Amino acid sequence: MRVRVSAWFVIVLVSVCGTALATAEFQVPPKPTAFVTDTVNALSSATRTSVDGELRAYEQATGHQVIVWIGDTTGDVPLETFTTETAHEWKVGRRGHDDGAILFLFMKDHRIRIEVGYGLESSLTDADSYRIIQDVIRPRMRAGNVDAAVSAGVAAMIKTITPSYSAVSPPPSESENTAPPVAGGIVIAFFALFAVFMAFIAMMIVVRVIAAIRYGYLVLREGPKKAKADMKNWAFASGAAGGFAGSVFSGGGSDDFGGGDFSGGGGDFGGGGASGSW
Amino acid sequence: MQQRPSYIGPIGVCIIIVAVLLFVGATYNSLVTLGQAVDAQWGQVQNVYQRRADLIPNLVATVKGAANFEKSTYEDVAKARASVGQISPQVVQNAINNPQDFAKYAAAQDALGSALSRLLAVVENYPQLRATENFQTLQAQLEGTENRIAFERKKYNDAARAFNTKRDTFPTVMIAGLFGSRFNEKPYFQAQSGAQNAPTVNFSP
Repeated sequence: MRVRVSAWFVIVLVSVCGTALATAEFQVPPKPTAFVTDTVNALSSATRTSVDGELRAYEQATGHQVIVWIGDTTGDVPLETFTTETAHEWKVGRRGHDDGAILFLFMKDHRIRIEVGYGLESSLTDADSYRIIQDVIRPRMRAGNVDAAVSAGVAAMIKTITPSYSAVSPPPSESENTAPPVAGGIVIAFFALFAVFMAFIAMMIVVRVIAAIRYGYLVLREGPKKAKADMKNWAFASGAAGGFAGSVFSGGGSDDFGGGDFSGGGGDFGGGGASGSW
Repeated sequence: MQQRPSYIGPIGVCIIIVAVLLFVGATYNSLVTLGQAVDAQWGQVQNVYQRRADLIPNLVATVKGAANFEKSTYEDVAKARASVGQISPQVVQNAINNPQDFAKYAAAQDALGSALSRLLAVVENYPQLRATENFQTLQAQLEGTENRIAFERKKYNDAARAFNTKRDTFPTVMIAGLFGSRFNEKPYFQAQSGAQNAPTVNFSP
């Protein structure tokens, strides 16, 4: 017995350490709040605004979320590890459609990466991403023209994903779109309601089971007639208890509401895309 | 009314029994849920490995076409692919419940991965082949696939770790054992030796 207990202890310790290691690989950058995020001021503000508007318009027209993120370096982390993990964390694209794509540029590393969500892998293939990087982005980066590289690269990505799409004039840039968080809130609200409902059902079942056991016990002890009368009094009391428990549960459930400032709607990534350098 | 205190004992026992049953049920269900997440992720791992295997015939055909390409390198790739193919789909499917099979499958896939990276390294010596659009496309697809493999393997390890942590921590560990081998620990992928710096080819002229 002693051996088993200490074996459990070791297993618990190892698994706790394992979890700690797994989460501490590297710091994923904070979720972007715009379609174009330039952390190192590599873009002119005119280009940043126009590409941002273009991508917002594209999302409104097609639902696909294509974003641009410009950083400095991935540090010791390999490029693909950094970008794939980051894309996975940010959840760009719609839940269930997984239709996000991210153009990463790392100015100090001179590296380019296009990260493609599961849902766009068939329209923006690895080979397509590779071609866009090699033929469109790389030459412009080599010439030192980041503005042209980003706007032409984004245009090529959009053209590849939706060949029929023709850019409309971007709408006036308002505050970050609010629709996806609302949609997310509805989903969360639905699940919270569902959880409360299930908790209530579970409570009812428990009460019923206890009542049945008690009734059986009373029948054996006092005979059916008296048992029924006793049960009536008792059911009233326990029903009130059940209702009380239900309201306690609903109080707990509502904690899940709120949150979600990013326009990303839960799209997932699996490492599709291509890398390049300049 | 004066009998009431005598109910409390039996009712208490019943409540405790029901509570224990509910607890066992909830634990069982949570293990099943986590186990299904591992199964689903295992399916994703197989998909990306299959994706890589599907690229190989095209790759071999492309390099074969190049003048006096070193035969042994692409034969190694074909051989490694064949040895992966020898493991039956059922065995692969159930490998997450059988550490030996799991290790065998992972080793066969790793061998294929290193045969491929050797091949790509050799292609460096054939600038003409490297310059063809066909090869560049294949290379982009292979790199994308290697990245997918690395990522899906990591996600698999995360799912397996979530399962194992739940399974091996108190109090679940008392209950997991009641179901025999149903909730065995899931095996992990080991880090591939040298796979982190997988074939990155520099295209700068």
